Amino acid sequence: MHKNNNFIERSIMGALSFLKDSIFAEEYAAGGGFLQSLDPRIKSITFLLFIIQVLFSRSIPALLFLYGLSLILALSSGINLGFFLKRTWVFIPLFALFIAIPALFSKFTPGEPLSVWNILGFKLIITRQGVGSALTFIIRVAASVSFAVLLTITTRHIELLKTLHIFKIPQVFVMTLGICYRYIYLFVGMIEDTYQAIKSRVGTSVHYKSGQNIVAWNIAFLWSRSLKLNEEVYRSMLSRGYTGEARVLHEFKAGLKDWLWLFAVAALSLVILWMA
Amino acid sequence: MDGLIFGLKDVYFSYLGKFPALCGIDIKISKGQKVSVIGANGSGKSTLLQMLDGLIFADKGEVSFRGVEIDEKIFYDPEFSRDFRRRVGFVFQNPDTQLFCPTVKEDIIFGPLQLGLEKSEIVKRLEMLVESLGIQGLLERPPHQLSVGEKRKVAIASTLIINPDVLILDEPTAGLDPLTTRHIIDLLIDENTAGKTIITSTHDLHIVREMSDVVYVFGMDKRIVKFGRAEDILNDTALLAANNLVHIHSHRHKDKMHAHPHLHIEHHNDSV
Repeated sequence: MHKNNNFIERSIMGALSFLKDSIFAEEYAAGGGFLQSLDPRIKSITFLLFIIQVLFSRSIPALLFLYGLSLILALSSGINLGFFLKRTWVFIPLFALFIAIPALFSKFTPGEPLSVWNILGFKLIITRQGVGSALTFIIRVAASVSFAVLLTITTRHIELLKTLHIFKIPQVFVMTLGICYRYIYLFVGMIEDTYQAIKSRVGTSVHYKSGQNIVAWNIAFLWSRSLKLNEEVYRSMLSRGYTGEARVLHEFKAGLKDWLWLFAVAALSLVILWMA
Repeated sequence: MDGLIFGLKDVYFSYLGKFPALCGIDIKISKGQKVSVIGANGSGKSTLLQMLDGLIFADKGEVSFRGVEIDEKIFYDPEFSRDFRRRVGFVFQNPDTQLFCPTVKEDIIFGPLQLGLEKSEIVKRLEMLVESLGIQGLLERPPHQLSVGEKRKVAIASTLIINPDVLILDEPTAGLDPLTTRHIIDLLIDENTAGKTIITSTHDLHIVREMSDVVYVFGMDKRIVKFGRAEDILNDTALLAANNLVHIHSHRHKDKMHAHPHLHIEHHNDSV
């Protein structure tokens, strides 16, 4: 009965630790590698170009080339390849299970049979075209996830938010995202403190029913705390002159290296497009 | 000291219409004054300061700023609102409330940007301020990574950069170590010497003498119990004890137990 408590503790602490590691640890973004040295706006545009290429390319060699390029860029930016592969490939099985595996079979991708399986009287035919589609899909997912992850881990979150401005996202929306980012950390700390405070009073062994209650209390407490904080933050914004129209200072400066990089990526995109 | 900045006449305020927070408050604050509001937790200090900053409004009574009565409607006028926000700065009790941007730098420049100051002027003020507060190393950091003292300094910086005539501070030294408290008090005294009106709420009696020309004592009935010069208020031990600002301290002298009202400020004075 009590082992469920470990499950609750592991879930809470695991989720908090993941949040801290994935959202707040800007270890690589603060590094001095190639991608970190680029202007975030130019970097975002070029990565968007890469992802568009990946999405529209049907050629496996072109997709492999783009995936390889993401790995080279990761290495040139001082990113540990093991960490990078772990971070990107964690998503692939999910997609593969639901989309790529069914695509192997003739039911979804008719074509030239490659292998025929008989399971419990059901005839499953894997087709050559199905294998090609599944492979294309997996490489496409791997490459696009790699570029997306690479952009987020080599750019500080605040800079990424600021780049939304160039895509004409309303400033108030960007500011709201920034405030969310700021307060998630505060709430993560609150959840940790509350959980430790409860644990210090009730001990490590809690009946699973109590465990459920603890989680529910935590959710209720956070809800009421966030409402109060929401009001206080709004007042502090009003106090400093906020009138509903957010103004920010944009300080990005693109240099020669950034423009060369943009030119190189644009040229590469054209070559891939021409080859396709 | 002439030139009335704030005038409150028989002001009442309650939360949700049923939890009284201020009852029959009369206060006058003049230009360049240092005013402290002292009282136990829940005596209405923070409510008063928020009212002075035009964030909440009186249910009854009159609040005026430089002779103009302020209510919710007057803040619909963008000109008045901008002028008021430029003239009055508020440092919140909880710095986590005030520091809502992803980086310290953005938090500091938030106010002047919203108030439409020139970018070159903002950059100039920022450079001067971070230099005087010694927070150069914090600018690119997210506020959640700062210590309480650092957060408090940044919160003060985010208000000072507006260069307001009136600085309102809600418990500016709560939870701070003695050295950081000293830095903040010195900074506020400098600002007052430069002509700013400083209004502070606190229950830390250490800072009251330095931070006050006038002290208002709030009681648990949400009324002003007494006001006057800091010396007079701090010497009235019975008043302080009755309003939970001092406590009875028991200790042993050789073989005899001894009890008396304990005012931490006395120890502070000995060491000066």
